[in-house]
Amino acid sequence: MPLFFQCYNMKRNTPQQVSSLQHNLSNVRNICILAHVDHGKTTLADALVASNGIISQRMAGKMRYMDSREDEQIRGITMKSSAISLLYNKDDKDYLINLIDSPGHVDFSSEVSTAVRLCDGALLIVDVVEGVCPQTHAVLRQAWLENIKPVLVLNKIDRLITELKFSSTEAYVHLQQILVQVNLLTNELYTSEAMGKTSAVADECSESKSGEAQSYDWTTLEDEEEDKNIFFSPDRGNVIFASALDSWGFTISHFAEMYSKKLGFSKNVLTKTIWGDYYVNMKTKSIQKGAQFKGKKPLFVQLVLDNIWSVYDAIFIKRDKDMIEKIQKTLSLKIAPRDACHNDARVQLQAHTSQWLPISKAVLSIVCDILPSPLQINEERTEKLMCKQAQRFDSLPKETQALKSDFLACKSGDDSPVIVFVSKMFPVDKKILPQNRQRPLTKEELQARREKAVQRHAERMSKLKVDEESINGTPIQDVNDTGQEEEQNDDNQVFIAFARIFSGTIKRGQTLYVLGPKHNPATASHYIDPALCLKDLSSHQHITSFTVNNLYLFMGRELELMEEIPAGNILGIGGLEDHILKSATISSTIYCPAFTSMYFDALPIVRVAIEPKQASNMKAVTDGLKLLNQADPCVIVSVQETGEHVIITAGEVHLQRCIDDLQERYAKVEVTVSKPIVPFRETVTLPPKVDMVNEAIIDQNQPTKSNRLKQFEDDDEVKEEGIVEIFTPDKTCLIRIHCVPLPKAITELLVEHSDLLKALHKTSKTDDTENILNSTAVQNLIDFKSKIANVFNQEHKSWKDACNQIWSFGPKKTGPNILLNRIPDYNRPSVWSCLDTATNSQTFRDLDSCIINGFQMATFAGPMCEEPMHGVCFIIEKWEYLNSTSNGQIDDKCESSSAIPRKRDVYGPLSGQVMSIVKDGCRKSFETQPQRLVAAMYKCEIQATADVLGKLYEVLGKRNGRVLSEEMKEGTQLFIVEATLPVVESFGFADIMRKRTSGLASPQLKFSHWEIIDVDPYWVPTTEEEYLHFGEKADSQNCALTYMNNVRKRKGLKVEEKIVEHGEKQRTLTRNK
Amino acid sequence: MALKQPTGQKRLTNIAVIRLKKGGKRFEIACYPNKVTSWRNKVETDIDEVLQSHTVFTNVSKGEVAKTADLKKVFDTDNHSEICLKILAKGELQVSEKERQANAESMFRDIATVVSDKCVNPDTNRPYPVTMIEKAMKDLHFSVKPNKNTKQQALEVIKQFKENETIKIQRAQMRLRATIPAKEGKKLREKIKKIATQIEEDAFEEDLEMVVLIDPGVYREIDDLVKHDTKGKGKIEILNLKEIEEGDEKLE
Repeated sequence: MPLFFQCYNMKRNTPQQVSSLQHNLSNVRNICILAHVDHGKTTLADALVASNGIISQRMAGKMRYMDSREDEQIRGITMKSSAISLLYNKDDKDYLINLIDSPGHVDFSSEVSTAVRLCDGALLIVDVVEGVCPQTHAVLRQAWLENIKPVLVLNKIDRLITELKFSSTEAYVHLQQILVQVNLLTNELYTSEAMGKTSAVADECSESKSGEAQSYDWTTLEDEEEDKNIFFSPDRGNVIFASALDSWGFTISHFAEMYSKKLGFSKNVLTKTIWGDYYVNMKTKSIQKGAQFKGKKPLFVQLVLDNIWSVYDAIFIKRDKDMIEKIQKTLSLKIAPRDACHNDARVQLQAHTSQWLPISKAVLSIVCDILPSPLQINEERTEKLMCKQAQRFDSLPKETQALKSDFLACKSGDDSPVIVFVSKMFPVDKKILPQNRQRPLTKEELQARREKAVQRHAERMSKLKVDEESINGTPIQDVNDTGQEEEQNDDNQVFIAFARIFSGTIKRGQTLYVLGPKHNPATASHYIDPALCLKDLSSHQHITSFTVNNLYLFMGRELELMEEIPAGNILGIGGLEDHILKSATISSTIYCPAFTSMYFDALPIVRVAIEPKQASNMKAVTDGLKLLNQADPCVIVSVQETGEHVIITAGEVHLQRCIDDLQERYAKVEVTVSKPIVPFRETVTLPPKVDMVNEAIIDQNQPTKSNRLKQFEDDDEVKEEGIVEIFTPDKTCLIRIHCVPLPKAITELLVEHSDLLKALHKTSKTDDTENILNSTAVQNLIDFKSKIANVFNQEHKSWKDACNQIWSFGPKKTGPNILLNRIPDYNRPSVWSCLDTATNSQTFRDLDSCIINGFQMATFAGPMCEEPMHGVCFIIEKWEYLNSTSNGQIDDKCESSSAIPRKRDVYGPLSGQVMSIVKDGCRKSFETQPQRLVAAMYKCEIQATADVLGKLYEVLGKRNGRVLSEEMKEGTQLFIVEATLPVVESFGFADIMRKRTSGLASPQLKFSHWEIIDVDPYWVPTTEEEYLHFGEKADSQNCALTYMNNVRKRKGLKVEEKIVEHGEKQRTLTRNK
Repeated sequence: MALKQPTGQKRLTNIAVIRLKKGGKRFEIACYPNKVTSWRNKVETDIDEVLQSHTVFTNVSKGEVAKTADLKKVFDTDNHSEICLKILAKGELQVSEKERQANAESMFRDIATVVSDKCVNPDTNRPYPVTMIEKAMKDLHFSVKPNKNTKQQALEVIKQFKENETIKIQRAQMRLRATIPAKEGKKLREKIKKIATQIEEDAFEEDLEMVVLIDPGVYREIDDLVKHDTKGKGKIEILNLKEIEEGDEKLE
């Protein structure tokens, strides 16, 4: 073991070495590894890490060094992107390679986005057995959108031999097919972009009539593409064949070099011909075309695959000792005896192949040769980074435009501005930070410690002898000590910014600006208070400043402290917790624009509610959620109006990770996860014209009346449908309430302009218009009023003049329900009164506010399931005092006679009575009408390929979704389906959708509107046909009823459900005698 | 009396017995357990799911059928089915296990809902979700009393929460505007200040006009104060029944 450690330290690249390399930009490469889940990203990273001696060659592929989280190791998937700096020596030049390993699971595509943003090149891995998978598509698109150059790695070729038992020729054909698939994807991306460009250009031309003569057309674009070499092809050298597990890999040029000596062909010819339909004609000693046609073995099979196949055959399958020796000799491999004698054939094989065709060399040399250095950043990418999608580069301020040259130059001199992009914040235990890490002890220290330990041991032994009881004492004390230490450390969670520096040099002690994602150089003010941090900023400020304290270099699981880091590198910055929420730009000039927000493939859609298991831990959870929000770029945390804490994540796996993080890192308390509460609304409708089997209801009012009014038959308060007359309990006051559905247009208007209503409510509270509302708001309100008046006038004539009779809106005085005043002798000013400048002579009656409050309470919780009402109008038609002479002056009487105060005590103050009868009256009149539930609806946009459309509709149908439109996206095979889906049904929707369509359909949900569920929850069959169709009990599920009962159950209200369905089928408690 | 022989018996198992004393006689019917409340709530409509047999007994467990003469005397009919319905509607029964459980559960929920509706977290001024309240109530070992109404019990829960500090909780405040003539203003001002939790506006011009936040529990007190002490000249207007944060908020 000590031997191992020595070599570990020796080969390990020191920070000094790295920092010297960082300055030589042409030898720096920033790359990331992208692929579908389980295609071998982390294994490949392991092999590369092993080449630097950070982990042993033996462990490569098993250790998964980049997966530092415990759950990553257990689940075997990567969940976050992590970076490491590697050294590589090629042609006597030292290269510094900053490698980022990214996760492949759909749920973590936000991590891919952050990784891609920081890199210049990418290794795209494809599993040759599984082929091109959905995530391959997604990551390739991300790389494409960020303009970074990919290299293809065809991985797991060993599985073709060992599992699928392909012959070498079959394998060749298979590999060809996969290459075609990948290139097809590239082509698709290219064409869709090209089409987008042309249409955008067309738009631009049509918009700006000055008409710059832009002659973008297909041919020019295609020509450009030719130059770009976007396609993968082995002879271009951007394809690597590999098996990361057995740690071998090669490119065509590798074999070309080898065989050019042996066969006497020039290397160039071989490079061009090894991949393709060529064969060697042994007679003429020449390479000829048409291998397939003539039934010959293609060169690739003959020269490359056959060799690999024979190695596998000898070592892995036949285990032929002589053959192995022969191979060792011809390839001049030196195998350590312990590998050669190893029982496991795989270990033997790896020992051979990793020496013969080391994967790290193949990959890293390609990376150095083909992928661009930070210096080669092109103009297009710069512009893309600097300006938001809709914005044009020329529209940026001059100073900002000037920065472009700095981007392109990527100079690290002191005079060039510092520009750093932070793509994510990630948490690190303080213990891991280099400044807190334990340093190896010197000999003297070790000696001293040893002595101390010996002393302590002796003491303990002596104590033991003296008093046996003290045994119990000492260990317990020890345990306590360590426990306390841990607790202290637990709180030390530090956030480090994952960043890339694009220009200038970042140094310790430098003071830089942190520019938030919404920062706009054109409008920003120039004065920045150094003391500010994120929390203090108002909504239009996006700049803070901070002093650079800690700079880190990523070394996989560890961090190295650096003094300064020049342009073009990937780095970590500490101490930014208070300045950056998720991502930001750091610069020495405020003219630097905020970098465009990243393209996220998976938007967060899985909503759950989070609660502490112990109610008293509420605060810890809230704080933990805040930290989580900062640490994860793809999570949304919010507090609902109901007080629930809701987190929205990209998928179930992502959710699980967030919960684990929350429990173990951020909140450190147990939490429970539950379905979030889904709000409903209640409303009334006009009586239906047809029954449930589409038979016209003949005598219009009869059936509905009998249904709904049956339970009110012996209730003399109900006058007729929708009209209720109700007395206060002390019989002094009579109120007549009429309930009707609001016209749909009005409801929509009210929902749309709820902010205006809020403003209106505020003004009416203070009675002083000018102080609160500015003139535009008043104008808006007046417009709004006239709009409503217009709509009312267009409706049935019963709504005539309704606008001026509006007494109040509800609930909360701003909702989509209206209280109308149609009391003949009460000429009350309407809600709009505060808008009229002319003072009004009309006055309020006493207890006016009680009626409003009663109405507010009724609309806030309807009778169906105590949810707010929606689109209901209550009309007060009568309001009379029976035994008072003068209307409204009821309170005077209580002094005049002693009888009334006693009465008052029985029923409480009259104001309270009025409030409650208005509430009850509203509810009752509501109940006499046909009631409906109103559900919140999501608008659901789904991208899917044609072959999973059927499955997609199936999932939608099961969840009561309704398809609105289906379109094919231009230039791709993707369909875009638009649908609406009730919010109640959305729990687990995304997950099911992904599972059923094997990840090929990705839904996006957005709240869109409220929609009446057109099913009467209280419906029972009444007509003959309905009995025939539904049976006597109406067994078929009534979805409105289910929704309603669920809400009622949740709230502990009475549910009309049988406790036991079949009395006879209960467990027999007493034995039959 | 009929001879009791094993062959002549039809044993009933799982019986819920409903008794009715009428005309000095005791009548019983045999029902299925957990079904009677459903019948009384009109949820169950099939009588055969409720009754085990359409026979009126004087003692179900002994299998003694009521005498026709007695039935005639008391119910004016000897139709057993009809009498069964009457007994079912009016008789007394022991509430069976599941019914009791369902009842207690829904009451527990109801109490939690009321608490969540009336209270806020003083830190955020937002309500607690019902599930949180339920958990806290369980931590409190609160037991539901089936014969007390839910609102009373909810108030009790709130009190206990405050005493035990299980969770930070506070009644959602009510916002009032009190208008009091100048004469009584001075006197009342101090009194109101004592009752109110917070005073938002306090303008003494011609009349005293105050906007205050109060605990809903003291509404009646303040109402009495204003109306009586001013001899009906003072006015109280409720501006907001529940002062809580509105709308969703992103945590950042």
